[in-house]
Amino acid sequence: MARPEVADVTIIGGGPAGLAAAAEAKGAGAERVILLERDDRVGGILNQQVHDGFGTKVFKEALTGPEYAAIYEDRVNEREVETWLKSTVIDPSSDRLITVRNDKRIQRIDSGSVIIATGCREWTRGAIGTAGTRPAGVYTAGAVQNYMNVRNLAVGRKVVILGSGDIGLIMARRLMLEGAEVVCVTVILPQPSGIAANIVRCLEDFNIPLYLSTTVSEIHGKERVTGVTLANVGSKMGEIKGTRCFVGCDTLLLPVGLIPETELAVAVGVNMSPATNGAIVDDSFRTSIPGIFSCGNVLQVHDVVDFATLESEKAGVAAAIWATTGKLPDPVITMNAGAGLRYVLPATVSGQDNVDFTMRPWKEEHDKSVVFKSDGEMLRRLKMPHMEPAGMIRIRVGKGRFKHVINNEITAEIED
Amino acid sequence: MNSTIICTVCPVSCPVDVEWTQEDGVTSIKNHLCKLANDYVASEIFDPGRTVTTSMPVDGGNWPLSSVRTNPPIPKALMLETMYEITRMRVQAPVKVGDVLIAKVLGTGCDVVATRNVKSA
Repeated sequence: MARPEVADVTIIGGGPAGLAAAAEAKGAGAERVILLERDDRVGGILNQQVHDGFGTKVFKEALTGPEYAAIYEDRVNEREVETWLKSTVIDPSSDRLITVRNDKRIQRIDSGSVIIATGCREWTRGAIGTAGTRPAGVYTAGAVQNYMNVRNLAVGRKVVILGSGDIGLIMARRLMLEGAEVVCVTVILPQPSGIAANIVRCLEDFNIPLYLSTTVSEIHGKERVTGVTLANVGSKMGEIKGTRCFVGCDTLLLPVGLIPETELAVAVGVNMSPATNGAIVDDSFRTSIPGIFSCGNVLQVHDVVDFATLESEKAGVAAAIWATTGKLPDPVITMNAGAGLRYVLPATVSGQDNVDFTMRPWKEEHDKSVVFKSDGEMLRRLKMPHMEPAGMIRIRVGKGRFKHVINNEITAEIED
Repeated sequence: MNSTIICTVCPVSCPVDVEWTQEDGVTSIKNHLCKLANDYVASEIFDPGRTVTTSMPVDGGNWPLSSVRTNPPIPKALMLETMYEITRMRVQAPVKVGDVLIAKVLGTGCDVVATRNVKSA
């Protein structure tokens, strides 16, 4: 086999996280930076998200997905990052000797640092166990978004959407604008799971009905979907008898959710978090294996791309520093997610730099505070008028506050 | 008059408490996290606009479609009519982000602009 290519930093995944990490790794002094993308274009999911609302944190304006991606693609090109397209990592290896298959051959890269930025894929029908036949016309929302917005293919004329996550809401509007009829959006929970802005712009603007506490209990049709049976569900998610009703449609959309694509992270053996389903990282975005970093949606599912960008820029800088100097501050302080919080990321911090913590609450909360405490000592308190599981919370703790940490432990929690 | 308007500029979706009169416009605004909400709630009350985002077929390009948007937002009532105008059009590659593909659509002050770079194939 040919001798391996030698790089300072190699980034696996050319979506928004990988692009931001690659640009900043180069900017922070890494000499050779290679960005690996298995598709024939960089930009990842942003290429098919033609709606606007991206960039309000970073650029203070609402860009579309392709516009946001184009900015970072330009930046990566200007900084002379090497982008390898149609390149799939087939062996990530824990010692950072990566094996890549591209359309020509198999290549290896011996890299100082590796950043895993492989993003997410979608859950499919199998994940929610819907009864009924197996006809054509059942799609995940992301697949429909790709057909319509990238490949110029129509998917159906009369559509039911199961699940009110943001991508489902956005696709309801897209389908209406393209001339399809969206019969209804149903959600199994008593409240919608997408953000309020999308309920307004995607459903209310187009008079699309939203049925809460409702699920699709059966799919009908032999070759093509002919309809679905809807039913109300009770508080324990069980179907309420006598509420079944048939709705005719030729297409069913299942925007069921995202799974971090962690196969490579698991293959190299990094420690994983059951709360985020991503790697456990410190405030330099280092995993448990030296020189291997992770950021973006494979680390934690973001609802705002700007936050994925900011996180990945830090990971890119840290990966460059590690590759060129072999030194990063030790993560001596352990973080705990306390009352009301599902997780707090990063899991450990050095205390030598400002940290932007990200976290999600277990449930909706009003007029509470997020507090950072160490052995009873208050380090930071922030009032939050509104918190919900669908909204990632991002709070900066200045490095000066870490001087007051006792026993190298901090707990973040929700208080009245 | 007063009401709560959900700011839709970004995913944070601030539920903005706003008071206004026809004569003086917005007189009080609360519960928003950033300045973008100021303009948004005023326009939502007096002249609601929407950014229509869709795509337009491209001939001879490395993508079959360029994504497009209205810039600035068009009046909310004209969303579907704007779609009819856009669906009648095709463009020739290359297309660059920001290219005006339809100027002053439907006689409004709004253009339809490209949001994706499409190179000649």
